[in-house]
Amino acid sequence: MTLHPMKLVTIVTEAHAREPLLRLLTEVGAHGYTLQLVEGSGSQGDRTADMPESANIDLKVIVSPETAERLMTRLHEGFFARYAMVAYESDVRVLRPGKF
Amino acid sequence: MLLDAIAANLLTPAVLFFVLGVIAAVVKTDLKLPEPLYVTLTVYLLVAIGFKGGVSISEAGLAKVWLPALVAIALGTAIPLWSYPLLRLGRLPAVDAASIAAHYGSVSAVTFITAVNYLSQIKEPSESYAAAFLAVMESPAIIIGVLLGKLALQREGQRGSLAETIRAALHEALLGRSVFLLLGALLAGYLSGKRGYDATSGFFVTPFQGVLTLFLLEMGTVAGRRLGGLRKAGAFLLAFGLVMPLLHGFLGTGAGQLAGLSTGGCALLGTLAASASYIAAPAAMRLSLPEANPTLSLTAALAITFPFNVTLGIPLYLQMARWWMGHSV
Repeated sequence: MTLHPMKLVTIVTEAHAREPLLRLLTEVGAHGYTLQLVEGSGSQGDRTADMPESANIDLKVIVSPETAERLMTRLHEGFFARYAMVAYESDVRVLRPGKF
Repeated sequence: MLLDAIAANLLTPAVLFFVLGVIAAVVKTDLKLPEPLYVTLTVYLLVAIGFKGGVSISEAGLAKVWLPALVAIALGTAIPLWSYPLLRLGRLPAVDAASIAAHYGSVSAVTFITAVNYLSQIKEPSESYAAAFLAVMESPAIIIGVLLGKLALQREGQRGSLAETIRAALHEALLGRSVFLLLGALLAGYLSGKRGYDATSGFFVTPFQGVLTLFLLEMGTVAGRRLGGLRKAGAFLLAFGLVMPLLHGFLGTGAGQLAGLSTGGCALLGTLAASASYIAAPAAMRLSLPEANPTLSLTAALAITFPFNVTLGIPLYLQMARWWMGHSV
């Protein structure tokens, strides 16, 4: 069994950013994602998640290192100034790299 | 008479539980409905009010509805046009003024539904098809607000496609889930008519007040949690959030009278004009005018104007409607 190195990019941001963010994932070439509503607090205030509109989304996507680089660059250029957002990447290893 | 009307509103179960919700949030109890239930209750309320409105249109005929509906659209379009310069006078940045103007021109479905409930409690007749005014008043102000904001940004040197932004705002304004659901329910009610009403009234009509009461308990906690934003909003916005509903309520009830609505119908149109959107407008502004500060507009709409309307505003608008109709106030 061979495990292949990939990048897990995690993005936590306001629910309103959902549609533009999903469009960006398609543009940079990600092949899927996992998303859930979460609550939290940060430098731009509380996200109470009492209404779905006031929740954060926690979005996870596994991509190749090159795609992760493109994704993080685009987030930096077009999203950080507009939306309350945290994004980070981490190393993961997967079976079936073609899936991502 | 006025105090009686206010007392009658404050003592409805829905408003009492709203106040309870606000208290629960202020004293920091852990009371919170699960988010899926919040969504379920909003769907129920929108479908119930839209379906009943559609049935009412099928009975009254479209000929009766189009004129007041046009008046409602005109009101929604005009409100941001004077709110914006007023907010600029209050030294708000142009994008924030445009965003807040859009929130106040657009409408709050829950405020409207609470007003419908109040009128039925005090046995004041009103046109059920007023739900159609709710549907058509949500979008125009959002478009105007985005336009005002984008034009201001272009004057400040920001570049970008105005057409693309307007297209995105239109999509959000016209296909947001509340407008979509409301228009769909209106159409379903219109098509199925009285028979459809009789078939579903056990679910959509009889338990309505109980569901609204439960929902307003939750909305009380939602509004209460945002009272902390008042410090950031400042005195000007606090005054704006309390005075503008009164002005818009007065204009809305008067416009209703011109359009030939009953006293109750005028009160509903006044309530719509006075209400501020806290779901559709914030979503559209975050996507189309992300430079605007969402805390300011949401605090004004949700922590100031919404509680004011639910507790004091609605009975005041009924009194305004009676005044316009020449009744004694």
